[in-house]
Amino acid sequence: MASRVPQIVALGGGGFSMEREGSLLDDYILSLLGAARPRVCFLPTASGDADHYVVRFYRRFSPGCEASHVSLFRRDQGTGGVEDDLAAHLLSQDLIYVGGGNMVSMLGAWRAHGLDSILRRAWRRGVVMCGPSAGSLCWFEQALSAFHGAPRPVRGLGLLPYSNCVHYDAEPARREEYHRAVADGMSPGFAVEDGVGLHFRGTRLERVVSSRADGRAFFVQRRGAGVREAPLEAEPLGAGELPAAVRPLRRRAASRAAA
Amino acid sequence: MSVHPEGHRQAEPVAPEERTIFAMGGGGFTMELSNPLLDDFVLSLARAREPRILFLPTASGDTAPQINAFKARFSGRTCTAEHLSLFRLRETRRSLGEIVAEQDILYVGGGSMRNLLAIWRAHGLDALLVQAWERGAVLAGLSAGAMCWFQWGLTRSSGPPEPIEGLGLLAGSLTVHADGEPERLPVWLAHLRDGTMPGGWALDDGVGLVFHGDVLDRVVSSRPGTEALRVDAIAGELVRRRIQPELLGSRAGDPLGGYDDAVEELRRVHRLRRGTGRRRG
Repeated sequence: MASRVPQIVALGGGGFSMEREGSLLDDYILSLLGAARPRVCFLPTASGDADHYVVRFYRRFSPGCEASHVSLFRRDQGTGGVEDDLAAHLLSQDLIYVGGGNMVSMLGAWRAHGLDSILRRAWRRGVVMCGPSAGSLCWFEQALSAFHGAPRPVRGLGLLPYSNCVHYDAEPARREEYHRAVADGMSPGFAVEDGVGLHFRGTRLERVVSSRADGRAFFVQRRGAGVREAPLEAEPLGAGELPAAVRPLRRRAASRAAA
Repeated sequence: MSVHPEGHRQAEPVAPEERTIFAMGGGGFTMELSNPLLDDFVLSLARAREPRILFLPTASGDTAPQINAFKARFSGRTCTAEHLSLFRLRETRRSLGEIVAEQDILYVGGGSMRNLLAIWRAHGLDALLVQAWERGAVLAGLSAGAMCWFQWGLTRSSGPPEPIEGLGLLAGSLTVHADGEPERLPVWLAHLRDGTMPGGWALDDGVGLVFHGDVLDRVVSSRPGTEALRVDAIAGELVRRRIQPELLGSRAGDPLGGYDDAVEELRRVHRLRRGTGRRRG
């Protein structure tokens, strides 16, 4: 437990909730934990603690992990997963897995239960944080939210001093909207397609991994009146060749334009 | 989006005594699957002949059973029923402001009051609901969706019952499920006694309070044998007043019966209204 580096794996989409069983992204995240039977806690808040999501989490993680979940909606019914000391429970995990859904609702509920500050502490202590979609957006300073009305920048927890845009390939308008937001003054940041994960050590991007051969991610920053979108080198996670050591991503931009 | 056929909705605030809140201790479509009396009463509170009603299932985390029960209850009635999810990513580009502005009734479901208010605030929905109330839309709800309108409620959002501040449109405090969850009442009374919560109401399941402005206008119930309890701390003493609600759907002299007849009668009234297009007085 001593002096672990804070780590976040932010997924543009994917993992057990969106991909078939045995998602390569989930395997990659588990490979970072260095525990024979890691303690993994699921936060399904962004989905409103949807039952089916909780079930799928246990299906995926209970075979190899000490799996638990925290529900912020069922705490009166004794079905809230962890009931007593949320802080002690979350701080003792190896991995906190945040589910997708609505980020604004999730952050509102987190703040009401003090989870925002608990998660910040857990991250600093080296509990690995990960998640797709809202479970990615929440770690960044700003996120592009396309929920009820025109897409707009919303504030995340700010552990990572960038902006984030997920499902970059899923909606045709998403790219244009993110570019406009960054050109209008949103922090520079990362646009990530489904199936692609950004692995940060501290606040530094370490690797970009993909469960698809053609998964892409980009760094988008303001340039003059417009933006510059630089492709990042994404490493496909092939079956059976999980990364043994973490190889720093040195050439961040350009080499493989549109894979 | 369709424009409401009656076009009567006002953007201007109405007089305070025309602002309506209906707070239920429990009951309605999520709790009374075969008893529509409270929900029909909710519809009758709207000024529109065929009201637009929006269900907010936020406090439950937008659970499918609540949303399905809402649709089942209201889809066959004289109204336009929709629900608003703050979790499920529906393909909507309409802003919350636009959606709320066109409603006649906002019906708030039960669940976690702490999450409900925190999530509303995160989306700015609390302010939109206050505006809707000020322009004359009916605010209705049960449990967390009833307590949220008061200064104080008693929530079990973190397990044991504890006081929580509401939006404060109505003075005093409210505790719900007084008969269904009896462990709430002693906690509420203790907080009234030591002054951490102002006096207020304890409602049984099935009991609803109708407020116009901040004045209590009616106490109704969908179930016989239920009551509303008013408690105030006066000079350190708890002063209690029990109120017998009007039983909805009952005929005079027959307080326990007449339920099915009442449903049939309501349906006839709805059909009649639809047929003649006559507006309610």
